[in-house]
Amino acid sequence: MAYSDKVLDHYTHPRNVGQMDKGSAEVGTGLVGAPECGDVMRLQIKVNPETQVIEDAKFKTFGCGSAIASSSLATEWVKGKTVEEAMQIKNTDIVKELSLPPVKIHCSVLAEDAIRAAIGDWKKKNGVQESSAAPMVATAH
Amino acid sequence: MTQILAQSAMAECWACDTQNDPAAYLCAACGKLLPSDSTDYFALFGLTHRLTLDVAALEKQFYRLSRKLHPDLYTRASKEKRQWSLEKSALLNDAYRALRDPIARTEYLLETEGIRLEEQSRDATDAARATGTDKQQVIPPDMLEEVFELNMQLEEVRMAAASNSQDPELMANLEVAEKNFTAQMEALQQQLESLWAAWDRALADNDAATKDAAKQAMVALLNRRSYIRNLVRDVRQALGKS
Repeated sequence: MAYSDKVLDHYTHPRNVGQMDKGSAEVGTGLVGAPECGDVMRLQIKVNPETQVIEDAKFKTFGCGSAIASSSLATEWVKGKTVEEAMQIKNTDIVKELSLPPVKIHCSVLAEDAIRAAIGDWKKKNGVQESSAAPMVATAH
Repeated sequence: MTQILAQSAMAECWACDTQNDPAAYLCAACGKLLPSDSTDYFALFGLTHRLTLDVAALEKQFYRLSRKLHPDLYTRASKEKRQWSLEKSALLNDAYRALRDPIARTEYLLETEGIRLEEQSRDATDAARATGTDKQQVIPPDMLEEVFELNMQLEEVRMAAASNSQDPELMANLEVAEKNFTAQMEALQQQLESLWAAWDRALADNDAATKDAAKQAMVALLNRRSYIRNLVRDVRQALGKS
């Protein structure tokens, strides 16, 4: 199967590979897996406690080229966004950007899951309620 | 599926008027080809949904049925019967391929129970998005941690071995990893067989709670298996064995 140029670019030059301190209160870690293909993906975000802006993101993915590209793109996209903005990223945005074929859509799903899981972990650590974050988003702009 | 079969009326043979099970594809009395709507793989072989099965007997039955259903036998039959023969032969081939393989058989059974493994992630993502919450991971977190960790270790050894493939110690580490993953695959196979036995017993007793427990355990096992399978594949590749 032929990968799109964008997938190849992310695959051969993945952005933001690595890890951050899982124990830090500012870091949210999402570890997700797609059992149907045996992929596993870890995505971490570092959130500014004042502004709720995601200042850094790292990932490590074991899986196919599309899974690596999807998570690489996800880290690029979440950086500079507030956590609430990042929650709006949909797998279909990733599919579009990377021109993923139907059989690789689950890779983008995994990346979306990873973002949500990382944000969820950060929220849990910092005692942020799931739905009460709206006023805080306003202060972030 | 089985319920529908049990409730349906009997099907009459077009040739000899004998009342047959609606899942039957050959008349019990005259052996003529019947128009059956049933697509159940197990029923095609005259089997219940038991997971423990004799593969040698399955093969024998496959060849026996193939000979009876083969489209070559119906070249001069009516258009309808040619169509039945074609459909049944294709179904029989699919059924045999699925049932003879332990994993495909288990996946098929789960599918008849409404569980599609390849859709579990997407369904969970949709649910999470709809409620704005975290996705309920289909893999338990500790298993994901373990799989991630195993992948990390394997990558470390692979990278070290790739940059220094002459180092016997590094290659030995890879060999150990391969043995370990292969042993895990074998252990999973055994666990799967005991889950089959649990399912078969629950099926015989018509015990819904035990059936559900067995199904969930089989889903978890197959999910874990796909991770271990990838690890086996990767370690073999690193060793130049595949």
